[in-house]
Amino acid sequence: MTNFWSKLSIKQKLAITAWFFLAVPLVFYVTIRFYPTFEAFYVSTLKWNLLGVKKAIGLKNYVKIFADEDFWLVLWNTTKYALVGVPISMIIAFVIAYWLNEIKFGHNLIRAMYFIPFLTTAVAMAWVWRWFYQPLPIGYFNILLSWIGIPQQPFLKSVTQGLYSIMAPAVWAGLGFQIVIFIAGIRAIPRSYFEAAEIDGAGRWQILREITLPAMKPTIIFLTVISTIGFLRIFDQVYTMTADSAGGPLNSTKPLVLMIYEFAFDEFKIGRASALTVILFLILLMVSLMQLWLMRKHK
Amino acid sequence: MTEVTLDGVNKLFGSVTAVKDFNLSIDDSEFVVFVGPSGCGKSTTLRMLAGLEDVSSGSILIDGQIVNNVHPKDRDIAMVFQNYALYPHMNVFDNISFGLRAKKLPRNEIETRTYEAAEILGLNELLKRRPGELSGGQKQRVAMGRAIVRKPKVFLFDEPLSNLDAKLRHKMRAEMKLLHQRVQTTTVYVTHDQVEAMTLADRIVIMNEGQIEQVGSPAEVYKKPSSQFVASFIGSPAMNFATGVISQTNQGNSLVTENGEDITLVDCDITDARKIQLGFRPEHMLLSEKTKSSKGHVCVNARIKVVEPMGHETVLTCNAAFGEIVGKCEGDKQFQVGEDIHFQIRSDHLHYFDFTTGLRI
Repeated sequence: MTNFWSKLSIKQKLAITAWFFLAVPLVFYVTIRFYPTFEAFYVSTLKWNLLGVKKAIGLKNYVKIFADEDFWLVLWNTTKYALVGVPISMIIAFVIAYWLNEIKFGHNLIRAMYFIPFLTTAVAMAWVWRWFYQPLPIGYFNILLSWIGIPQQPFLKSVTQGLYSIMAPAVWAGLGFQIVIFIAGIRAIPRSYFEAAEIDGAGRWQILREITLPAMKPTIIFLTVISTIGFLRIFDQVYTMTADSAGGPLNSTKPLVLMIYEFAFDEFKIGRASALTVILFLILLMVSLMQLWLMRKHK
Repeated sequence: MTEVTLDGVNKLFGSVTAVKDFNLSIDDSEFVVFVGPSGCGKSTTLRMLAGLEDVSSGSILIDGQIVNNVHPKDRDIAMVFQNYALYPHMNVFDNISFGLRAKKLPRNEIETRTYEAAEILGLNELLKRRPGELSGGQKQRVAMGRAIVRKPKVFLFDEPLSNLDAKLRHKMRAEMKLLHQRVQTTTVYVTHDQVEAMTLADRIVIMNEGQIEQVGSPAEVYKKPSSQFVASFIGSPAMNFATGVISQTNQGNSLVTENGEDITLVDCDITDARKIQLGFRPEHMLLSEKTKSSKGHVCVNARIKVVEPMGHETVLTCNAAFGEIVGKCEGDKQFQVGEDIHFQIRSDHLHYFDFTTGLRI
C-alpha cells in the first residue's frame, strides 16, 4: 500500500484525496437526487397509482397532458409568474442596490432588513400576506385603500388579481438575495471606471447606462436565470395562500408544480405527474442552457 | 492659457494628515511632476486637483477660479489612471470618444476629433478593438487618447507607466514628452520613479510625508538638493552619506565620523563641532592612487565588497570606515572583491546637510 501511494505523482495524489472527500456527497446525490430524476423519465411512461400494478402506456401521459385545457392554462400562469415577476423583482432590487451602495450610514442594517424575508419560511410569510389581503376591517391593503378613497379590492379572490397578489410576496421574499448579489456586482466594478467617467464629464445617467449596466451583465444574466427558475418553480406561496390550496379561483393562480402535486398526491396519477415533471425539467433545462450561451457570448 | 494654484492645501483622513500645507503655482503649459515614496501624499494631491477627493482646508484654483467645490466633470481636466480605467465592453473608438459623447457634441465632430487623437497616438488600426485585445503599451495610448481628445485645460497623470515593463516604459516616456511638446497642455504627473520625474518634468515637486521637500527644475534638485531626503531620493544609485562632527584645525576643516575616522574637507567653512551629514554621489567619485585629500578634492578610502559590471560602467559597493558607500567607475577597469580603493571627490560635488534638520547647509 505504501509502495503504491509513493509511486503516484503529486497530481494523482491530490486527485485521489479530492475524490475521497467527494465520495460521500456524490453517493448521496446519485442515490437521492439523480436516480429518482432518471426514474421519473421511466415512470412518466407508466400508468400507476403508487400501489397497484405498473402498466406501460408509452407516451400516452404526454398526449393526455397536451390535450388537457387546464395544462395550457397552468403553463400560461407559470409563464406569467416568470415573465412579470422576474423583471419587476430585478428592477426593484437593482434600484435599491444602486442607492443602497451610495450610502454608508445604516448600510448594513438596511441591507440586513431587506435580506430577512429571504431567510423567513415562505409559509409563515404567505400567511401574513394572506391577512394583508383580507377585506375590511382586517386587511391592511384594503384599509390603506379606504383611507385614500379607493374601492375595496378582492385581491386573492379575483381571477385577474389573484396571480399578482401571490406574486407580490414571492417578489418581496427574493428581493434580499437579489439586492445582495447586485451590490456585490456593483462593488466589483473598479472604482477608477467611475472616477474616469466622472472626470470625462459623464452624468449619472450616462455612467449608469454606459458603464455600470454593461459591466454588470454577468450579474444580471445570473440573477435573471436564478429568479426565472425560481418563479417557474413557484409553489409554496400558491399552496398556502389560495383557498383549499387549489390554485384558485378557477385555477387562475395554479402553477405547474402545484398541478404536479395534485396529479401525484390528490389523484395518485403518478405517471401523469412524472410526465409533467419531465416537461418542467425540460423548460428549466432550456433556461439554464440559454444562460450558458449568453454568458459564453459575453466572453 | 491655464494656470493651476494650490494654496495652503491640507488633506486629512480622519486624524491622519495625508497632505500638509501644500503651496504650488503651476504655469501655463508647464509639465510638473510630483515625486516621492509611496504614501507621501502625491496621489492624494492629484486626486484633490481632479476633484475626486475633498480638500480639508486651503484652496485649489484653476485659471484663478477656486474649484474646491466644483464637480470633477465641470473642472475641464482629463486624467490618466494607473490601471488606465479603460471600459472593457467598449471598443477603442468608444473609449476615446466617451468624454465627447458626455458633452453631447455633434456626431461628426466626435468622429473628427477621435480620429485626430487616434492619428496622433498611432491608434488608427486599433479603433475597432476592445481593451482586452490590446497590449499594455496600446492600452496606455488609448488612455492618453481619451485624455487628449477632450482638449482639456489640465492633464493629470497618476503613475501612468508603472504597469509597463522597463523597455516599454522608456518608450512611452519619450512618447509622453513628445505629446506634451505637441499639445502644450498644462500637465501634472505623479510618479514614484525619480527617473521618470527627471526626464519628463519642467519642474519637479519632491514630496515626503505629505509635505513638499523641494520644488525645482531637474537640474536644480539634482545639483542643489535642499534636504538630505531629496538628495537621497534623486539620483541612482543613491547618494552616499557620512555622518560626523566638524572639527576645525589649522589645516582647515575635517569631518570626524562616529567611529573616529577623519575625513579632511576642502573649501568648507562650517562651524566647529556641528553635527552634519556629508553627501556625495556615486557618479562623482573618481578613482585615485592618492590616499589623502588634496587640492580641491576630498579623499574617501574603502574596501570593495560587491562588484557589479554593467558594461559601460561598473558599480562598486564598498565598505568605508564610516559605512557602506556605492561608487561608479568606467566599465573597462577590473576590480577584485576585498581590494582597497581610494576615491577623490571634487569639493564642489560635496553636499552638506544638518544632522538634526536634514536641511542643506
